Order: sequence, then C-alpha cells, then structure tokens
Amino acid sequence: MSRKLAALALVLAILVCSMGLKTALSTGHADSAVMVANGPAPAPTGPQPHPTR
Amino acid sequence: MPGPLALAIWYVGIVLEIAFVVCSIARKSFFRYLFLNTYFLLGLGSDAARYYFLSRFGQSSGEYCYAYFYTDALLTLALYIALISLYARVFGELRFNRHVRFGAALLLLGTALFSYAVVAQSEKRLTTDFAYELSQNLYFVGLVLTYILWGAVLKLRETRTRLVQFILALGLYFSAYAACYALTNLSSRYSVVQYMSGAIGCLLPLTWTFTMLRHTEESRLEPARLLAVAR
Repeated sequence: MSRKLAALALVLAILVCSMGLKTALSTGHADSAVMVANGPAPAPTGPQPHPTR
Repeated sequence: MPGPLALAIWYVGIVLEIAFVVCSIARKSFFRYLFLNTYFLLGLGSDAARYYFLSRFGQSSGEYCYAYFYTDALLTLALYIALISLYARVFGELRFNRHVRFGAALLLLGTALFSYAVVAQSEKRLTTDFAYELSQNLYFVGLVLTYILWGAVLKLRETRTRLVQFILALGLYFSAYAACYALTNLSSRYSVVQYMSGAIGCLLPLTWTFTMLRHTEESRLEPARLLAVAR
C-alpha cells in the first residue's frame, strides 16, 4: 500500500513540476504562444487551438 | 507555402530521420532501439501527411493546422514511450522494469486527466483541444522525466555510451524547445524565432544518428567525469 502511495506521490510531484515549468516559461499569461515541437515541419500560421483562451 | 529556408530545414530534418533508421538497421540495432526507431518512422509518416495538407491547403489553412497538431500529439506520445524505453534500459539491470511501466502508465493517465480537466468546458472542439493540451503537457512531463533520468544515470554510474548520449541528446532537445517556447512568448515578432523550432527539430535525429554511427553497443564511458570540477 505504501509503495503504491509513494508511486502516486512521485507521479503527482512530476506532474506539478511539469505544469509549474510550463507556466513559468509561458511568462504567466493564459494566452501564451503555442508550443510547436516534434519535427522540422514549418508551424501553421493560421488560427491555432488554444483551450485556455 | 513557407519560405525556402523553412522548407530547406524541413528537408534536412527528413533526411536525418531517414538516416537514423538506416543507421539502426545497418548497425543491427533496429529492434534494440525499437521505440526510438518507431518515433522516427512515425515522424516520417507525419511529415508526409503534413506535406500533403500544406501543399494542398496552404500553411495558414485550418486543415494544415489540424494535421499539424494531431500528428504533433501522436509524436509527443511516441517520444514519451521512447523516453520510457530508455528508462527501462537504465533500470533494467535493477529489475525495476515493472515499476517503470506502472509509473509511466500512471503518469500518462494523470497527464491525460489533467489535460481533460483543462479543456472540459470546451464543448465545440473537445477532441482537438484535448489532443493539443495533452501534447503540450506531455511535452513538459517528458522534459522533467529526462532530467530525472539524467540524475539516475549519474547516480547509477551508467557507462553505456549510446544510452548516455541518447539521454543527453534528448535533454538538449527538450531544453532547446523549452527555451524556444519561452523566447516565442517574449518576442514572437522576430522572424528568427519561427525558424528556430524547425532547426531544433533537426537536432534530435542529428545527434542520435551521430551516436548510432560513432559508437557501438559495446562502447563505454564514465559519466562521473562530467561532474569533475577543476581544483
């Protein structure tokens, strides 16, 4: 049981760190730029999805 | 269509992705690094789909935007699995594979739930928004996981050169994209930022191909040396 709880705590800690980093890099704005990753293809220039907007 | 520089960067990236898969096959390491190869094969498929939509509808079209972000979500998921496969290789000797798989699945589930919570109010484009948000969040989870893995490599004194170089290259790749993201938020009006993400996209296939070419599976090094400081 304690192992499972430890795994859950670790997962939550990683998730909090990741989302904190994302917020910090987006300079705290909700309407921050879209992260375009994965591959060398040119990013679309049209309207982009933004759920938080 | 995008400018010649953006297209040139894209073509170079495609060549490098093919080069990694070819080198893996030539070095008889395709199945050893199956998930890394799968990531690049999916990348090539995504490039083909993106090129189709780009040439048919244009860079500012909604079709290209959808194709781009759906394939991006798929690729981020594939990269996450590739990263977990590196975790499994590092912790494999300690027989932690089951725990790694369980933790990875739990983390993926947590990220998916978090992403869903963010987009739950969006009724019109729930699937698109969810795919986009999951991709973005999973990317940052991958970034944090890579740094944790590098810490584990140093702690466990991992000596397999290929594995160490793959992890280092992945850390560099994630960090460069994160820096690019921050820079875009600060100064998106500068055109150089637009080319940066494409150029960074070439970084991972370039470094991994170089590693695959230069080092064999038997190559060993001592990462502890990286921590040495001049006295």
